[in-house]
Amino acid sequence: MKEQTPVTRAEHTSVTPTDDKPTDEPAAAHVRLDAPSSTLRPVDGAPDGVIELRDLEVFYGDFRAVKDVTMGFGSKEITALIGPSGCGKSTVLRCLNRMNDLVPGARVQGRVAYHGVDIYEPEVDVIEVRRRIGMVFQKPNPFPKSIFDNVAYGPRVTGMKTDNMDEVVERALRGAALWDEVKDKLKQNAFGLSGGQQQRLCIARAIATSPEVILMDEPCSALDPIATAKIEDLMVELAATYTIIIVTHNMQQAARVSQRTGFFTAEADDMGHRTGRLVEFATTEHIFGNPTDSRTEAYITGRFG
Amino acid sequence: MTTRHRTTGGLSETGGHPAAWQGPEIDLTPQRSRVGEKIIRAGLMGSALLSVVVTAGIVLSLLTPLISFFSNVGVGEFLFGTEWTAAFGDKFTWDDKSWGVLPLVVATFMVTAIALVVAVPLGLGAAIYLSEYASERARKVLKPVLELLAGIPTVVYGFLALTIITPILGAFFEFNSIYTALSPGIVMGFMIVPTIASLSEDAMSAVPLALRQGSYALGANRMKTTLRVVFPAALSGIVAAIVLGISRAVGETMIVTIAAGSKAHLTFDPREGAQTMTGFIAQIASGDAPQGSPVYYSLFAVGALLFVITLVINMISIRLVRKYRQAY
Ligand SMILES: Nc1ncnc2c1ncn2[C@@H]1O[C@H](COP(=O)(O)OP(=O)(O)OP(=O)(O)O)[C@@H](O)[C@H]1O
Ligand SMILES: [Mg+2]
Repeated sequence: MKEQTPVTRAEHTSVTPTDDKPTDEPAAAHVRLDAPSSTLRPVDGAPDGVIELRDLEVFYGDFRAVKDVTMGFGSKEITALIGPSGCGKSTVLRCLNRMNDLVPGARVQGRVAYHGVDIYEPEVDVIEVRRRIGMVFQKPNPFPKSIFDNVAYGPRVTGMKTDNMDEVVERALRGAALWDEVKDKLKQNAFGLSGGQQQRLCIARAIATSPEVILMDEPCSALDPIATAKIEDLMVELAATYTIIIVTHNMQQAARVSQRTGFFTAEADDMGHRTGRLVEFATTEHIFGNPTDSRTEAYITGRFG
Repeated sequence: MTTRHRTTGGLSETGGHPAAWQGPEIDLTPQRSRVGEKIIRAGLMGSALLSVVVTAGIVLSLLTPLISFFSNVGVGEFLFGTEWTAAFGDKFTWDDKSWGVLPLVVATFMVTAIALVVAVPLGLGAAIYLSEYASERARKVLKPVLELLAGIPTVVYGFLALTIITPILGAFFEFNSIYTALSPGIVMGFMIVPTIASLSEDAMSAVPLALRQGSYALGANRMKTTLRVVFPAALSGIVAAIVLGISRAVGETMIVTIAAGSKAHLTFDPREGAQTMTGFIAQIASGDAPQGSPVYYSLFAVGALLFVITLVINMISIRLVRKYRQAY
């Protein structure tokens, strides 16, 4: 069992490479856990760390996809993960509810603590983890079942004790702002819905198991601007109840909905291996207003990636 | 709105409408003859037509002897009669024989049902294992082995039934001869396991990974994901696989000829020997059935009935496949 020290985190965490490869950063700038900048303003309801990552490192076979990820996700906050393609955002996100278990050869090192419990400990029940930490995918993936059965699926398979499934389904669909559009066709196949409706159905499906955290991997990338706006509004609404972690390529979206943003990038080392890492993690305001790291600035201003 | 200017030709936008084309003239008429395409098209149409022609040919060749048969035997007597003694008595008289095909039909379906009882659970179990549980390496080894099973000549299965399975079953059941419907039924089940397993596995593997991930992300385990998401999503292909298995069982000849015996009698007891439709056809066609004799004509009647039954099964299959097809 690894040591149980909680992740120390201040308002601003800048993680720069710890190995001795040349960067454009001063050599002394190793891991800094204190806010170096007076321009930072504390956010109301600073994260109390529903999920905390410490030195997370993920391998796919021999390939190290990400390393050195240390960050925390605040309760009832929206945290956005941004960065260029292939930098490991999805990889990190999948670690949070152990979806990486399904990838043959995937290996996770470091600590992923959910309320202080390392979810990769052998005695942890992955089903319990996934029930509490739900996930919405990039492409809407409703099951080929009725709308009702889609929403009822999670409660059914996890053996949730429910007196009245109708109520559970209605509450979830209302929560996902879909109820009014589908209340008359709950028995119809979910494939008949539009893409945006399908994605909200997937959100309803996720919240039907009453999770605490919802992970979203580019949930709007297959949607048109109107459907995207609806999902964004919904995310903001959901953040009153749930902790949300979203991966997005849409910078405006990250800026609009999130309170905190982590910027990842992957840089090739001497051997040509590209390993993703967390470059900067701070309030969204800080990341988009006055980023500390030059790479963050280059990325958000569109000069990179 | 930005206005683009080009030096040669090009569009110049005025008031939102492109002006008339001013560049060099272009020719959109065919530049090459498309003979090759036409030949290919004709060839493809030819192959499509050929299958129709062959089917029609089969129907027509059955027709003349069929007419001879049914001018001597009533359709009702044939379809609903419970006694079949076509091979008995004088070779050239119609009247001393019973022409009720039901014993053959019942035997056919009994053997098929036994085969399905064996093949559906085994086949689907194998498919689920291969598609959802087996490691990539195990799948790479097992699937070809399974498909190899489908290539074993049916005469081998027939001998397996008669010389191994029947004696083994004899230890548990009271058989009154070495011919039973049970033994070839079971062996036939093993024979169609690869068909059902392989096609069902294809159908299940074709279910998008995203659906499985969605299920796992909701806290479902592998069994629930398989049974509640993958299986229903693949149902169309699984139904098609089972129906193909049924067609093969109904049409299977060698195993029943060897191990089910040649006694045509109406029975629902799988411990007894029972001649199937295919068994009868094989027996008569390989024995002496003088052309123009009643038993010769009866071959065509039984063959035609078999044809109709297979056709109906396939039509039901197409219906079911359509009904359960999912567009992901
Ligand atoms: N299942 C896998 N097997 C092997 N390598 C993988 C797998 N999934 C991801 N990778 C690799 O890990 C690295 C990080 O991938 P990941 O999908 O996490 O990136 P991402 O930041 O989400 O990219 P994108 O923005 O394009 O979705 C990439 O180099 C990728 O090729
Ligand atoms: Mg991704």
